[in-house]
Amino acid sequence: MQSEHQIIKSVYAAKEDSLKADDLIRDYIPFIRSEASKCISKPCTEQDDEFSIAMIAFHEAILGYDRNRGAFISYASMLIRSRIIDYQRKELRHQGSISLYTETGEDGQTIMDELEDEHDRIEEYANLEATKEEIEELSAVMAEYGVSFSDVADNSPKQERTMEACVSAINYAKENRHLLDEMLKTKKLPMAKLVLGSGAERKTLERHRKYILAMLLIYSNGYEIIRGHLRHFLKKKGGMPV
Amino acid sequence: MKKYMVMECRLSYAVVLDNEGHFLKVANRHYEVGQTVTDVIEMQIPQSSTRKKIISKPMYILAAVAACMVLILTSVFQMGKMKFASVYMTINPEVRIDVNRWDTVVELDGVNADGDDLIFGYDYKKKDLDLVVNELVDRAIEMGYLHEGGQIFLALDAKNDDWIISRTETLNESLNEYVREKLSVTIEVVDKKSQSNRVVIPIIPDKSDYGDSDYDEETTKAPMPAISETVYVTNSDDIDDSNYGPNNNSLTDYDDTDYGSNNDGVTDYDDTDYGPNNDGVTDYDDTDYGPNNDGVTDYDDTDYGSNNDGVTDYDDTDYGSNNDGVTDYDDTDYGPNNDDVTDYDDTDHGSNNDDVTDYDDTDYGSNNDGVTDYDDTDYESNNDVITDYDDTDYGPNNDGVTVYDDSEYVPNNDSVNDYDDSDYVPRNDGAIDYDDSDFGYNYDDGDSSYFSDYDD
Repeated sequence: MQSEHQIIKSVYAAKEDSLKADDLIRDYIPFIRSEASKCISKPCTEQDDEFSIAMIAFHEAILGYDRNRGAFISYASMLIRSRIIDYQRKELRHQGSISLYTETGEDGQTIMDELEDEHDRIEEYANLEATKEEIEELSAVMAEYGVSFSDVADNSPKQERTMEACVSAINYAKENRHLLDEMLKTKKLPMAKLVLGSGAERKTLERHRKYILAMLLIYSNGYEIIRGHLRHFLKKKGGMPV
Repeated sequence: MKKYMVMECRLSYAVVLDNEGHFLKVANRHYEVGQTVTDVIEMQIPQSSTRKKIISKPMYILAAVAACMVLILTSVFQMGKMKFASVYMTINPEVRIDVNRWDTVVELDGVNADGDDLIFGYDYKKKDLDLVVNELVDRAIEMGYLHEGGQIFLALDAKNDDWIISRTETLNESLNEYVREKLSVTIEVVDKKSQSNRVVIPIIPDKSDYGDSDYDEETTKAPMPAISETVYVTNSDDIDDSNYGPNNNSLTDYDDTDYGSNNDGVTDYDDTDYGPNNDGVTDYDDTDYGPNNDGVTDYDDTDYGSNNDGVTDYDDTDYGSNNDGVTDYDDTDYGPNNDDVTDYDDTDHGSNNDDVTDYDDTDYGSNNDGVTDYDDTDYESNNDVITDYDDTDYGPNNDGVTVYDDSEYVPNNDSVNDYDDSDYVPRNDGAIDYDDSDFGYNYDDGDSSYFSDYDD
C-alpha cells in the first residue's frame, strides 16, 4: 500500500513537472520494456519503435492518470498495450507499400541508395548540423523567456480557428517590426498591441502566449532553415490582418 | 506530405514542428534535433476523466429532465388529440363530431354522403364543440338541408356519463338560443348508448314535420300544411319505424320486399323458387318432376327400366342373365363360365378350367394349380413347389428345413440337438436326469410294487 501511495505521489508530481516526469519514466524503463515485450511477444530492445511508443504511452499515462479510477501501474500497462496495438494496425496498413530501404538488386542495393549519392549525404549531414545549431540557438533564446519547446508544444493551437487567430497576430507583428524589436528588448510579448492590431480575441491569444512568442522569435531574425521549413505556414493561412 | 522538424528530444518524447506551424509532442523514435521526419506518432494526452465527469453529471440530469419533459408534453399533446366523446348530429346530413376532454373538436366526419357534403371544406381545427355545431347548422341552412320546421337530432356518445348529462343540457340550450332567431326547428339531444334519455324539445308545436323525416327531401321543400297536431311522445321511439319484420332493427327496410320463409332482410327478388326444395336458390332449371326429384334435373333420364336409377342406360342392350346395365356387346361367352368376360382364348379345358387359358400350363403334378412350376424340381414328399435346393435333410425329420446341426441320431431324434443330452439310458427322453442315479433300477422311487427296489 505504501509503495502504491508513493507512486501516486510521484505521478501527480510528474504531471506538473516534466523533469520529475522524466525521472519517473527513467525509473520505470524496465517495466515499460517488459510491457512492450509482452505486446510484441519477443524481447523488446530500446531500438524498437514499440519501445518508443511504450515510452510515450507511459508519459500519456502519467498525464491522464486519475487516482480515483484505480492503480496507476495497471492503467499504464493498459495504455502501453493499446498504443502498441494501434501502431501495429497502422503499420499493417502500410504493408502494401514499398519501403525506401527495400533491397532491389542482387547486390543488396536499396531504393534509397539508388536515389541519393554520396554528395547528397554529405550535404544532408551539413544541413542537419546547421539546423541543429539554429534550433539550439532558438532554444537558448526561448529559455531567456522561460519557455521550452515542450511548453510550446503543450501550448500549440489545435483548432483551425484558434490557429487562424494566432496567425493573424503573428502576421501583424511581422509587418510591424518595431513590435518584434520591442519584444526582444523588453523580453515581453506586447500582447495589448497584438490584440489591437490583429483584432483577434485577447483570451485566445493569451492562452497561446508561449506559442506566439516562439513563432515571433523565429520570425524576428535569422532562423532561415526553420523559416524555410515553415514557408507555407503564414502565406497559406491568408496572412491578412483583419 | 507533412514534414516535421525535430526541435527537442526528451526521454519519452520529442517535440516537432510541422510545416503548418504546429508544435507537437511525438514518440521519440531515436530522433535527433534538426532532423526532418515524415511519419510521427503523436502523443494523445487523455482527457482528465474527473473533469469529464464534472461536465457530464449535470448533463445527464439535464438530459433526464428533458426526456421527462418531452414525455409529459407529448402525452398532454396526445391527450389533446385523443377522442374523448363523439356527437352525432343528424339533420339529414349526418356527421360525427369527435371532441377531446376540453370540448375541442378533434375530428369531423361525415356519416352519410350528405354529411360529407356538409363538412366539405369546413375547418374545425381548434374550435369549440358549441361553435362547430352552430356553424354546421348554419351551413346546413345555407346548403338547403335544414328548413323551417326541420329537426336537428344530436346523439351524444361518451364513456363518461357525467359528460353526456351535462352536455345534453348545455348543447340543447346553446343551440336553441342560436337557432331560435333563424329558424324554427326541433332539436333533439339524445344519449347514443341508451337512447333512453331522449329529450324532445318541440319548438313549434303547431307544425307537423311528419313528412320531414327522411322519406323524401323534395316533398319537404313545399311547406307542409298543419294537418294534425304533432304527436311527439317521449320514449315513443319508432315514429318513423315502419319496419315490422323479423329484421326489425329500427332501420326501416323500405326495400325489403322479402316476405318468405327465407325472410332474412335480403330481398330475394330472384326467388321464384316455390317448390319443396325451396331453399332460396331458385331452381329455374329444375324441370325434374320425377320420383328422383332431387333438384338436379335429369334431362337425360330416359331411363324407365327396372334399373331406373336416373342414370340413363342408352347403351343397355344387355338383356341377358347378367343384365347388370353394362352392355355385354362383346359377350360371346355362352359357356358355363358365362361371366361376361368373353373367353375367346378359353382353350382351357382342364380341371383348372377357370377361363384363364393355361397355355403355359405344363404343370401336371400334384400341385397342378395352373402356375407352371418350371423350377419345381421338388419331387420329394415335401413337394410343396418350393424347390428345396438346399434340402439336404434326408432324415425322418425331412421337413425341408435342413438340419445341419442335427447331429442327433438317437431315439430322441427331434432335430433339436441335445448337446447336453447326456441321458443315454433306457429313460432316454431328452430330459437329462441329473438326479437320476437310477440306471436300470429305480432306487428310491418308493414304489413297493417295483420288484427289485433296494429300499423295498
